[in-house]
Parts: sequence; C-alpha cells; structure tokens
Amino acid sequence: MAEKSNAPRRKSRREFLRKLGTTGAVSIAGTSLLFAGSKTGNSDKTPGSKVKMLDQNNRLVEADVSQVSPVSVKIDAGYLNKKGRKGLPGRKFVMVVDLARCRNARKCMKACQGAHQLRPEQHHINVLEMYDEENGASYFMPKPCQHCDNPNCVTVCPVDATFKREDGIVLIDNERCIGCRFCIAACPYSARTFNWAEPKDAEKYKDVPYDMELNVPQKKGTVTKCAFSADRLREGKLPYCVSACPNGVYYFGDENEDLVTNGTTRETVRLSKLLKQNASYTLMPELGTKPRVYYLPPRRS
Amino acid sequence: MAGIHKSEVTISQSGKMEHDLLRTVNWNGRFKLWMGFLSLLLLVCLYFYYLQLRDGLSVTGMHDIVSWGIYISNFVFFIAVSLIGMLISSVLGMIGYKWIKPISRIAEIIAVAFALVAGLVIITDMGRPDRLQHLVMYGRIQSPIVWDITIVITYVVLSLLLLYLPLIPDIALCNKKLTGLPAFQRRLYKILSLGWADKPGQFKVIKRYFRILLIMIIPVALAIHTVTSWLFAMTLRPGWDSPIFGPYFVSGAFVAGCAAVIIAMYFFQKNYKLQEYITNRHFDLMGKLLVLVSLVYVYFNINEIIVPAYKFKPFEVEHIGNLFYGHDSALFWMVQTGGLIIPFLLLMIPKMRKPLPITIISVVILVAAWFKRYLIVVPTQLTPYYPIQNVPERYHSYTPTIAEIAITVASFVLVLMIITILSKLFPIIPVWEMKEENENQKQ
Amino acid sequence: MKNYILLIFFVLNFGFVVNAQEWTVPAEEAEKVSPYIFEDDFVTDGEILYENSCTSCHGTPTENNFMPFSPPPGDPASEQFQSQPDGALFYKIQKGRGIMPVFENILAEEEIWSLIAYFRSFNKEYVQPEFDYGDEVLSELKFDLDFDENIDKLVVKVFSDGEVEEGIDVSAFVVGMFGKFPLGKTKTNELGLAYLDVDPSLPGDKQGNLDILVRVRKGYAIEKATTSMKIAEPAQQTSLIEGRHLWSTGDKAPVWLLVTFLLIVVGIWGVILYIIFGLFRLKKIG
Repeated sequence: MAEKSNAPRRKSRREFLRKLGTTGAVSIAGTSLLFAGSKTGNSDKTPGSKVKMLDQNNRLVEADVSQVSPVSVKIDAGYLNKKGRKGLPGRKFVMVVDLARCRNARKCMKACQGAHQLRPEQHHINVLEMYDEENGASYFMPKPCQHCDNPNCVTVCPVDATFKREDGIVLIDNERCIGCRFCIAACPYSARTFNWAEPKDAEKYKDVPYDMELNVPQKKGTVTKCAFSADRLREGKLPYCVSACPNGVYYFGDENEDLVTNGTTRETVRLSKLLKQNASYTLMPELGTKPRVYYLPPRRS
Repeated sequence: MAGIHKSEVTISQSGKMEHDLLRTVNWNGRFKLWMGFLSLLLLVCLYFYYLQLRDGLSVTGMHDIVSWGIYISNFVFFIAVSLIGMLISSVLGMIGYKWIKPISRIAEIIAVAFALVAGLVIITDMGRPDRLQHLVMYGRIQSPIVWDITIVITYVVLSLLLLYLPLIPDIALCNKKLTGLPAFQRRLYKILSLGWADKPGQFKVIKRYFRILLIMIIPVALAIHTVTSWLFAMTLRPGWDSPIFGPYFVSGAFVAGCAAVIIAMYFFQKNYKLQEYITNRHFDLMGKLLVLVSLVYVYFNINEIIVPAYKFKPFEVEHIGNLFYGHDSALFWMVQTGGLIIPFLLLMIPKMRKPLPITIISVVILVAAWFKRYLIVVPTQLTPYYPIQNVPERYHSYTPTIAEIAITVASFVLVLMIITILSKLFPIIPVWEMKEENENQKQ
Repeated sequence: MKNYILLIFFVLNFGFVVNAQEWTVPAEEAEKVSPYIFEDDFVTDGEILYENSCTSCHGTPTENNFMPFSPPPGDPASEQFQSQPDGALFYKIQKGRGIMPVFENILAEEEIWSLIAYFRSFNKEYVQPEFDYGDEVLSELKFDLDFDENIDKLVVKVFSDGEVEEGIDVSAFVVGMFGKFPLGKTKTNELGLAYLDVDPSLPGDKQGNLDILVRVRKGYAIEKATTSMKIAEPAQQTSLIEGRHLWSTGDKAPVWLLVTFLLIVVGIWGVILYIIFGLFRLKKIG
C-alpha cells in the first residue's frame, strides 16, 4: 500500500487531526445547553446583557438573559434522531463553490475529516484535480455531496436510512443503514464512502450518543457522506469545510433568503446575482439530479 | 431401453424402473465421504465469514470505488443459474416436450439450491447483517432491493413447490418400498407424503396445481432476473445505464442454467448409473437448447456492446475501452469468445453433443458465465464520472481477497450440499411420471 | 571539525534561547486598553474572526490543541494568555513574530479588539479596564426606523443626546442566517435623517418580513438594533419534500407503485397459499 510508505512523515498531522476530531465529539456529548448564548461562558445574569438563541423557527434571535432560563436538555439518541430527520423549517440550503479561488489548500478536507471521525482515505468532501480539456490547464474542484433535489441514492435505499429533509439536506441514519451500498453504486458523483472497518477512534466514541446531523459516532458497516454539517447549521454556523477555507472558495446560505455568506471573508451576497453574474453551473445537469451545490467557473473572464 | 425389451424376467417394466430409480435413495459411504469433505470445506470457509463479521467488510478487496465485488457478481450468477428450473419444467413442459421429464427434477433441484443460497450470498455482502430485520421493519418499496428480496423469496417458494408437487407420489412410494431406511427418514417421508394414496382424485388435484405453478413461475422467474438487472440498470452509472439489461440478463441466465443442468446430468448419469433414463438423446437435445439460448445471448451481447462502442459517448468510452483493450480486456475476450462464441459453434457439431464433450464445454461455459457476471459488475465501478483521487493506490483496481474467495466458495459448497442431500433423499428422476410416460407409449 | 560541532551546538543553544526568550512588549503598548465594550455581540464577532484566522495554529480555545510549533502558539484560554494585559495581546497580534503573522494590515483595530474580547470570554475573573476617552464625551445615540414604500427606502432618524445632527454614520444590513447583507452606508442630513435603498427583489419570509440591522456610529459611540420589518413580498416557500416521489420516504411512496407492488405480491402469494392449503387437504380427497 502506497499509503504506508509516507506514514511516519504524516504522523504529527494525523495526531493533530485526531485531537480535533475528539474535541468535536466531546462538545456534542452528554448534555448541552440548548441556546447558543451560553457558549460565551462569562455572560453574567444581570438584566440587560443579551444572549443569542434559536427560536421555534430556528432563526437566531437575541433575548435578554433575565428572560431565559438555561434548560439543560439531556441529548439522548431518541431526541437526536427525531431532530435529525426533521430538518430546519423554512430553509433551503445551498452551497456555491467558486472554482476560480480554489488553490488546493485542502483545509476543507481536513476540517471535515476531523469533525466527522473519518479516516484519511474517507472523504465527505474531496478536492479533485480536473482536466476538462486535453490541452487545457487543470483546475481544482472541491466535490462535496451535491444534496440533489432528485437524489438517486435516496431512491434506491431499501430501508429509509438515507433521506431528504425539508431543508434540502440529504442525510444518513447510520443506525438504520444495513450496509447494502446500493446508494454508493447509485450516486454518479461518488460522494459516498463506506466504513469498511471499525471507524477511526471507535473506542473513544463508544459512549457518545449518535448525532445523525453530525453522523458521529461512525459505525462499522454503514455508509457515510457529507451532511452539509447539519449540526452546525442548527447552531447558525457555517459548515466545517466552509469556515475552514482560507481562500474564500465557499459561499453557503439559504435559498429562501437569497443570501449566501462567504466562509472566509464573511461577505454576504445575493445568491441569484452571484449565480447569474458568474455563469454558474451544476455538475452533470443532464442526469436530472438537480444538485444544490453550484459551481462558478474556474477562470474569470 | 434395449435392455428392457430383451428382459425375460417376470418383473414388469415399471417394477424395474421403480427399482432402478429408488436405488439411488440411500446414504452410502461415498455420500458420507463427499458430505464430510464438503462440511470440512464449509467449516474452513465459515471461519473466514466469522473474520468478516468481526472485522467488517475490510477483510474483502472491496473499497469505496468498487463497493460491489464478487459477492454481488456471484449473487447475479446464482440467480441466473436458478432460472433454468423455469425454462425446462415450465416453458418446455408447457409446450409439450416429453423428453424433459427425466431431467426436470434435476433442473428443479438446481433452481431451488441456487435460489436459496443466492439469498444467503446477498446477506454476506451486507455491511450489517445484524440489521436484516430492518428490511421488514422499514422496507421502502421504491427500492429495487426490496423488490428483489420479495421476488427472490417468492421464487424460492415457487421453486420449492414446483419441486415438491411432483415429488409427493414418489415420496409415498419411497415410504412404501424403502423399508430399510432409518426411522427419521421414514417419518419424514410420512409427513411429506401428506397422506398420498395414489388416488385418481389426488392426481387430478396435483396436476391442476402443477399447471398453475408452471404458468405462474414464468413471470416470476423473468421478474427475478429482470429486477436483479435493475439493481444495476436503475443507477446512473455509465456501464450499467442500459435499457436492455433485463433481457440481456435473462438470456444469459438460460445459458448458464443449461450448462449447469448438463453438468449435473452427466454427474447423475455416471454416478447413479442412470444411462437408461438420461440418454445420449437428452444430452443431444440439451446441447441444441444450449445453442439456441446462446444464440439469443450472443445477440443481446452484440446489442449491449456495439451500440455504446459505436456512439463513443464520453464515460461509456472509458468503460468500453477498459473491456476492449484496457485492464480487463484479457478476461473480457476470454469470456466472450472462449466462453460463449467458440463453445456454441462447437456444439453445432453433433459429435460434440455426446455426454463427455458437451459436459466439458458446459464447464467452460459455466466458468465463463461466472466471470461474465464479474465483468458486468466490477469494471463499470472502476470508471466513475469523477476521477479517483486522494485515495490509496489499491482503489484503482479490485482484487478479491482470500476471505472473499473463501466465502464465495462457501456458497458453492452449500449449493453442492443441498443438491447432494436432495438427490439422495428423493429419487432424482420422477418415478410416477416416467411410469405414466411408459404407459402412454405402450398404448 | 571540532569547531564545526561547537558551532552547531552554539546555534542549537542559541535557538533554544530565542525560543525561551520572553516576547517583550513596550510598556506604553501594554497599557493600551480597548475603547470598545466587550459585550456578547462583540465577542461573537471575535469568535468568527478567530475561527477563520487563528484556529489553524492556535486550535480551539480551552482544548490545548494548538500546532506543535516552536515556540508553541499556545491556547488563548490558557493562563499564559490570560495573564497578559489587553495591550500586550493587541501588540502581539498586530506585530507578529516568527511564524505568527503580522495582522497589522489585515485586521482593523476594532477587529483585533474583538478577538481579545473573545479570548477574555474564557476568563471569568476578567474585568475590562476602562478606556480613558479624555475630552471626548460619548454621545448617547438613539434612532427611529421607518420604511418609505413610495421610494423603497429605509428612513433612519438619529438623535445624538436628544438632538438631530448632521454627519452621523448610518449603515443598514439584512440579517441573513449566516451573515449580514449590507444595504448601504450613509450619513445623516441636516434634519438628522439618513436614507438607505432596499432592493425590492429581496425575498422576505412567508409574511414578507425582513430582519433589518441598523448601526449608528459617532466616534466611539455605537448604537445598533435589529428590527423585523414587513417590507418585502410574502414569499411562497414550498417544502422540498412535498408530494410523493420515487425518492420520498417509504410512507410517501408514489401511489401507482404502491398499488402495483401490492397487487402483484397479494396476487402471487394468494395463489401460493391457495396451493399450500390445498395440499394439506390432499389426504381427504378420494
């Protein structure tokens, strides 16, 4: 195996990734406070200081600290499962990948693998070097799950283990998955990967309750794939890959708002204008899968 | 048959036939040795399945690019071979061919054995066999897998009934005649004979049910293999994206099934000394049938390969190129010419349809048929739409591991065990039907 | 040869000294304090900045998972960071050293202070030192917000210490899920009024509401508020999983498929069961 030969050189980096992965899991483990405001820690309880929290419609709102009492919700598997299948009402998530900005930094891949307990060869997002023209220059293309509106992978699933939510995200319930790998065969974008062996650090994640939106802990013999970081979206944060990019490749947002936010520059722009002004396209539209990930061409005119 | 006419002994023809055909129902030393060997082999293979259960599918050569390997191609092969029961008993039987009578039970046993084990093969491919019940609890009828499982179960039950119905009078006969058998076996016969007493009314009912089954198994058998082909054709992959996959698979199934039946016929003729019942004429006719189904299969092969090769669409090109002159070309040409075209051309020569040559040709065809399924399943996955990057080198090809091969061997061992037990437990040639045939000829 | 080894030893030793050397901050720089109040909103700004510019080396605060560089980058929540005065942290972020980049030209002063606000959010004992505004008196800012449908403009009327005043900075944003979409930036006129364009094509929610953030600034005094305003067309939001499709969940399977499947299965199994029951009655047939 080619991988083995350069293993020592990459060890330290892996060690780091492993640590990152653990922190991701620990923060969701056990009990956690429902409103995001509690995260800032030092917010005192004197009237007048504000906290940010999600209201019933999952909109981020500010409220006075004196008006909310921190409700500690036991995050058990049942709660996570129900929440994971529901989705965020009134949202339609989209991603725009600006290929002209991609410099193959691969921070997105690292952040993703760290957050989702993935082995180095498992990719929820994979940066590919593409050669569209034999004589043309190559370019780099990050390829996450396209979260299609007509997802063939979901069509073929025999047990409803993978499903589409009302906010457009295609998720996997790895407690339901029987490991038939039909979805892997059906996906034309090769977006799915399988846990052939015991997942990375399985022992550490043993007692962590399963969070469908994070798809952690991973389980042996089940399929895993990009979830648009649904766990982060619920907190009003951008996906792991989007916020890790140093080059401003990713825009992410809600189609209903017609706004997308760049993960690096934090610049928020109109989705419709961004797509129109930059000759956007989707991957293999001829297959009729209707992807929710748009690409802006690799060269600026 | 000559021996029967010369016979001056007072035992009737049907009496001799009974004796000849029931003679094979016993548990002799060779049977025990053979079963012992198979059991040992199975145990070794099951150890590898234990390893797979423990360590996950990582013990196989499969990976994210080729996520369906020889388990699935073997499954397709098993389903294919099992279709022969339908072709011989049902299609030919309904047309009115009498010569299929002595081999129809062989075909049925092969159908039952392969269909049953196909169900197990698909479980070995599952990442989570412990969640099999999810298919019942959460079954989703939009998925071809759910259709496939439904139809496989239906086909197994129908094949079992198709095997069992004509067996009932024979089981009753065994129970009556074979008094020297162990008690458990006699008790089994008693239960299975369902109080059969050779009454005309009973024959009438059995024959009516049998006709219903013969009609019903045709669409079910076509469906089982068509749905299996849909597991591939209904995805968005370049090499599988073909509307003729259904008939392509079905015609291929008949080729594989015919070859399997011919091999079994040869084995039973020699080992059970049934030369009087399975004659050279049967081999000759089966050879002709094999030529016919091969012709149909070659026709579908031409369609399946020439059309995309002519159009030269991107992505399809990569797949076709891989088969024609790429990584899998050697296997491809061996299977297509050595395993399909040359054998069927040879079979057009009458001498080649004698028992021994046709059996050798059938073995070649059957082996080629197995690899043909491999060529349908695996190479397509190696040419996905998007380049294979940032993965270990081994993801660019697929090589089955020892464990994977052992588990596949286990499925064949199981098939052989089922065929052996069934052929030793019951007469391999339908006694009452042969007797009836005899009566009809006399009149 | 011996000299050579000695040289290596010396260099190594020197490197060690450099690593261990204190990063001294000029006294006047260390005394600098933030003119901005470290309120929750400000901390959140810092958190976002931190995730984009700092996480790759410093790791997640409190987790001690910074990169193993020499000198070690350190964890902002650690004692080593928290024991330093705000001004020292400000200086180090601005000037950089070794692997630590110079952020002077990348981040505005306000942004660097927001980072420090974020660091301090991990320290419960921290009390923000008061900024000496000197002669400058912080005005008390207040504003009224309205929308003029005839000209599709937001109208902001600003009062500084109760009086209208010309030249106060006013900016407005639409609050999206992940970021603020700028509507524009302007100054008040002599009547204390500021007009900001609102693109009529911006979609609102189902009721046509848009969350508008208005920010008014005069010197160090900042006042901002988010208001939900009914200024957009009510949006027709269709659910992506409505209807029965092949990809819907099992309970929403297309009717034609459900009917066909069940008819076939019931039909075939009906006959199978009929035959099986028939077989059990075989004994009674004469």
